[in-house]
Amino acid sequence: MAGIEGSLSVCDDCGLVHRWQPLGHGVVARCSRCDAVLGRSHRLSIDSVLALTVAAAAVYLVAVSTPLMTLTLRGPTESATLVDAILAAWRDGEPFVAIVAATTALVAPAAFVAFRLYVLFPVSAGIKPPGFAWCVRALHQAERWNMVEVFTIGVLLSLVRLAGLADATPGPGLFAMGALTVLFASIASAGLKRLWLDIE
Amino acid sequence: MSERDADTGLPRVLGCESCGLVSQAATIDERGFLQQCPRCGQVLRETKPFALQRTWACVVAAAVLYVPANALPVMVTTSAFQHDEHTLLGGIHELWLDGSWSLAAIVFIASIAVPMLKIGALGLLAWTVRHRPRWRRLERARLYRLVETVGHWSMLDVYVVVLLAATVRFGPLASVGAGLGLISFTAVVVLTMFATWSFDPRLIWRDAPADGRAA
Repeated sequence: MAGIEGSLSVCDDCGLVHRWQPLGHGVVARCSRCDAVLGRSHRLSIDSVLALTVAAAAVYLVAVSTPLMTLTLRGPTESATLVDAILAAWRDGEPFVAIVAATTALVAPAAFVAFRLYVLFPVSAGIKPPGFAWCVRALHQAERWNMVEVFTIGVLLSLVRLAGLADATPGPGLFAMGALTVLFASIASAGLKRLWLDIE
Repeated sequence: MSERDADTGLPRVLGCESCGLVSQAATIDERGFLQQCPRCGQVLRETKPFALQRTWACVVAAAVLYVPANALPVMVTTSAFQHDEHTLLGGIHELWLDGSWSLAAIVFIASIAVPMLKIGALGLLAWTVRHRPRWRRLERARLYRLVETVGHWSMLDVYVVVLLAATVRFGPLASVGAGLGLISFTAVVVLTMFATWSFDPRLIWRDAPADGRAA
């Protein structure tokens, strides 16, 4: 059954069927009707994506466990990590805001990294891990909810707004968040559908 | 016997959103209740279920909550002599008065322009599917992709208030807390995200010819 269908591709945005051809280097295939991206040729091999994901895992741990910024006001000092900030919002009687912030800045990035590691280690060795299809679907969801890039700008904006009030300095967590944004962008550019081509 | 397209007589096909495999659309007798991708098990659909109803529900709820999100304070600051409440627009105005015009512009785009764009654009997209199906299909498809891309950025102010409230904790000297408006605003952001995901851009192209740019 995959005989004919294997050479076809359907546009996710408008449902138009296209005949699929292997793409040359650096080419982006677009839907002839709605101009949505159908696919890109991938510069990154599966091993490069795995390497980037391992790096992202290390950077993620630094980003969530070290202070994002430190504040000094005539002696006393306050610093906050991402986890501190979410717990503080929860305790201050904002559980809904805390849950949304935790989902988008803490849980979704963790899922983005963890499911990829679980999938990519076996796939790079040519093995299909159990629950592979479910993990790829979970990765689609993690990509939707991940807002690390917005959060990084949020930290920068907070620093600027505090500058007039107290002595605010960026912490290692902020730099890690910035690095994580770049790593996530390059990992996500490799795409998820191709994982199915790599195991076949 | 698989389903055939009414116009062309060719077998109808469905693409899997998760793995990209293209399968023939099965008739209801063959597939039972839902058709699944033979490779990865993802449910295959012509369009998302109840796409317009869900989009309208989220858009209307977001538009209603957008009123308290702007009218109520999102942030409360306390210092030795003052107790101040800041609304979304008030915060932008303060940045503007401080001379940080570029920051005021960023916050204005993230907190005012993006949520209004999302509510307005999704309302327009959902309305035109029913009432102006042939009108500027390509532009509508691009508008949907724009909404999808910029949607995340409205979370910016939520993060800023959460971070300020977590770091500015110097008791009576200076402290920052979240206001009631922040809950409404967070709900607006989440609801517009759900509205974006429940809308189906394939509805824009219903009954469009394959080279539908001119139509």
